[in-house]
Amino acid sequence: MNAFGLAPLLLIFPVIGVLFNGLVGRKFVEADREIGEKWTGWFGTIMAFSAFAVAVSLFFSLQANGHHAEVVHLFDWINIPSAGFHVPWAMRIDTLSVTMMLVVTGVGSLIHIYAIGYMHGDKDFSRFFAYLNLFLFFMLILVSGSSYLMLFVGWEGVGLCSFLLIGFWFSFVDKNGVWKNANAARKAFVVNRIGDFGIVLAVILTFWAFGSLEFDVVFETALEMFKSKEPLLLFGQEVAFGSVVTAITALFLLGATGKSAQIPLYVWLPDAMAGPTPVSALIHAATMVTSGIYLIVRSNTLFEMARLSVGSELLFGVISTPDLVALVGASTALLAGLIAFTQFDIKGVLAYSTVSQLGFMIAAVGMGAYVAGMFHLMMHAFFKALLFMSAGSVIHGMEHGHHHLHDHDDDDFDPQDMRTMGGLRNRMNITSVVYIIGALALAGIVPLAGFWSKDEILAHASANDGGIFTAVYVMLVIAAISTAFYMGRQLKMVFFGEPRHAAAAHAEESSNLMTYPLIALAALAIVGGLANLPHFAAEHGAEAGGFSYLALEHWLEHSLHAFELTEEHVLHMPHTPIQIQWSVAIISTILAVGSISLAFFVIYKDTSKANSAPDPLQKTPIWWTSVLPLNTLYMDYFIPAFNRMAKWVAISLDWVFWHDFVHNRLVRDMFVTFAAFTSSVLDQKGVDGIVNGVASTTRRLSGFLRQTESGYVRSYALSIFMGAVLLVIYFMFATAG
Amino acid sequence: MSEITINSYVILSTILFVIGALGVLLRRNAIIVFMSIEMMLNAANLLFVAFSRHLGNLDGQVLVFFVITVAAAEVAVGLALIVAIFRTKKSIDIDTLNLMKG
Amino acid sequence: MGNSFVFMLLAVIAVGSAIGMLVSRDAVHSALFLVLNFITIAVFYVVLNAPFLAMVQVTVYAGAIMVLFMFVIMLLGAERLRGMWGDRPSELVFAAFLGFLLVVTFLIALVMEGKTAVSANMIDSSPVALGLRLFEGYVFPFEVVGILLLSAMVGVVILTISNKRGKNV
Repeated sequence: MNAFGLAPLLLIFPVIGVLFNGLVGRKFVEADREIGEKWTGWFGTIMAFSAFAVAVSLFFSLQANGHHAEVVHLFDWINIPSAGFHVPWAMRIDTLSVTMMLVVTGVGSLIHIYAIGYMHGDKDFSRFFAYLNLFLFFMLILVSGSSYLMLFVGWEGVGLCSFLLIGFWFSFVDKNGVWKNANAARKAFVVNRIGDFGIVLAVILTFWAFGSLEFDVVFETALEMFKSKEPLLLFGQEVAFGSVVTAITALFLLGATGKSAQIPLYVWLPDAMAGPTPVSALIHAATMVTSGIYLIVRSNTLFEMARLSVGSELLFGVISTPDLVALVGASTALLAGLIAFTQFDIKGVLAYSTVSQLGFMIAAVGMGAYVAGMFHLMMHAFFKALLFMSAGSVIHGMEHGHHHLHDHDDDDFDPQDMRTMGGLRNRMNITSVVYIIGALALAGIVPLAGFWSKDEILAHASANDGGIFTAVYVMLVIAAISTAFYMGRQLKMVFFGEPRHAAAAHAEESSNLMTYPLIALAALAIVGGLANLPHFAAEHGAEAGGFSYLALEHWLEHSLHAFELTEEHVLHMPHTPIQIQWSVAIISTILAVGSISLAFFVIYKDTSKANSAPDPLQKTPIWWTSVLPLNTLYMDYFIPAFNRMAKWVAISLDWVFWHDFVHNRLVRDMFVTFAAFTSSVLDQKGVDGIVNGVASTTRRLSGFLRQTESGYVRSYALSIFMGAVLLVIYFMFATAG
Repeated sequence: MSEITINSYVILSTILFVIGALGVLLRRNAIIVFMSIEMMLNAANLLFVAFSRHLGNLDGQVLVFFVITVAAAEVAVGLALIVAIFRTKKSIDIDTLNLMKG
Repeated sequence: MGNSFVFMLLAVIAVGSAIGMLVSRDAVHSALFLVLNFITIAVFYVVLNAPFLAMVQVTVYAGAIMVLFMFVIMLLGAERLRGMWGDRPSELVFAAFLGFLLVVTFLIALVMEGKTAVSANMIDSSPVALGLRLFEGYVFPFEVVGILLLSAMVGVVILTISNKRGKNV
């Protein structure tokens, strides 16, 4: 029995939610706040759950079907027979897309429930759920599309939803009079356009090169071309196949850096935290930002072929695209991990952490560890959604605490500033527990989800020799250490110690609607690693004691063409470790634990003066003072050096250089200048000038000409007579003479 | 006295035509303007008949026949227009009619 | 094409009556000069071997059309206007110049032509011959002209019927 026929429902349910919440939801909420919120919120949630149910049924159908991909044709979208251009609107149900569907709808549903509690009392309650459902719809198109064009539709659609949801409170103006949320939304949108430009070019190039946009056709055609080693004919010029694949994959990488917030386009994601927290959890941590990874995994055949290009076919003649992907991912992971040290905003830490973890996934897929990348994607979706939503719960609690104070002179109070928190462990029990679970999972502590997935990536990096892989390995290890450190720092600042602000002392636990999804996600973050446990011994079978190791690997194998191609020995895949690398695992665990403890000790002494508190990194751990020489060494050399480095990375490199100088000064100012030039000079003076000039010339000319129109019959008759006389003269002398 | 040639008729009808044209262009009484137009038509007719005689071809006379018919229709409509204008403007001075002034 | 004495006599009468029409202050005088002009032209037609057209000229032009003119002049009481000539002198001068130019042009053209063409022999131009020619070669234009007359008649009725007496037109 299979349920592939149900596939369209996957898209239809969210659309129903959009229509209901978008068209009539507002009426319900306005009519009766309590009941209206219940109806609209739960309607959207049920639609998300229904989509999840469909995804689950598709999952079992695939298993019954022997994991064979199924393309469900809905209707023809574009059909131009003369150009051989045929794009059906079809859904591709294979193990990869179903994995993504399960993550998107599963995590999405939990976040919907959470949002009912979180958005309680918001005046645009139903609009929020309409946007969330719309996002689900586009995200499902993205992952289920059977062609690059459908993928692109979803890609743009989620970009739109991201824009709408970051700017959800678009009328919010901060105390400096800046449209913070609206600006953040625009920033995200504009930065993403750069990446989307790459996707458009890549899609066009794919069609020119392979004559189709269907995944199946593209990959098969590409393989034949790869085998035949014959150059392609593009625009009457012969182009080496490797160059074409390199170009396509490089453009895909550009798209991925935009959507998945990698260097150099990561700058939009930290700002995107201006949106409501469920949005940060769903879109900017769990699902949308991972679509760049999905794109690369989906195009794994092309990337593996690009890995084998040589000489002038390489990017700039130096580096192959997958290697560049790995480097970009690793350096993003490292840089964002270091930046996260210095953030005081509770969501800011998580935002940079997300950038960093996305870097891990990108690095993994760049190294050819597609399954490891997908594995980390899933695990990250669990624990990062958990962390974001817990952070939202903390913010909610802080706001409640602040309200209880009846002290509204304190306008500068920022419920997201970790310097005002502390000791929340005692006030918010559930939240603190699940937050700690999520943080430990993220830090990679055995046996939580993050450990297994991060370890698999690190194992990949260490298992393959070669310059780039070694560099990637080193960067990823440092990034992993910093991950543990900043999460430890955050835990310490938020949940431990004494409250540093009255609001923190009066914080309240959030409602059940918010905490139950957190518990569910915490459970996933604990046991998620089971999805792809490595073998622990050298002798292994696929099944051992009824438990299947590497389940995700075997499951996804059916969708990764590159794996199948490897069996035919056409492609050489990088070595895939299927057994746990004990050395890597132990080292990373020790480093993570050490790093967390270090963070705890560095931020040992909290002051109760909240906002004037200096950077906790500058505090001296008390127990060091007893060991004098060590203390001197630590105080005089390590702390300043470390501080300077972290500050330099965060302030000089990231903020001053990258945000302020490159983006604001160079990119934005140049763009603004150029836009001002085009608008005031080119458009107003040039285009408008021509248009207005034509108009005013016409008017002046007609003003002059109308002088000749006296309205008198005699004048007209005179003109006619003059013409007649001239004609007669002409015929008399021109023709006769 | 010698025979008169076609040239004399050309000159005569040109003079008549120009007088008619001057009537149209100079006078301000709409009825006289109209009469001048009839004069111009007659000048043309005269030349048609003269050429018909000169070339020994009856077609010129047939054409004059048609011109007279059309002129009759034109006069009827034109005079009706003058009556209509007179009703609204209480004048047939064509220099008072400049609603079309640009 | 006629005796030169007869031609000169008729030409003088025609041009003189035309100028009379042009310069008469009173519209009734103009109309009478025009009748004289039309009759002169009718005589020309006789000289030019077009007796039927001469008849038509007298009855239709000098008769019917001029009676219509006289009728309208009397009806409107518009014999005399405030001024004879147009308001804008420059236009008048220019018009006169153009008329002069046209005459001069024809004169020069004829002088340049130099030789005098020889006229053809007399042909049969009796009403019978003309009628045959008309219905042999010009049946369709004849019918069109008939329609034209009919539509002119309808147009005249519509133009002149007074709206004050009812909007039922």
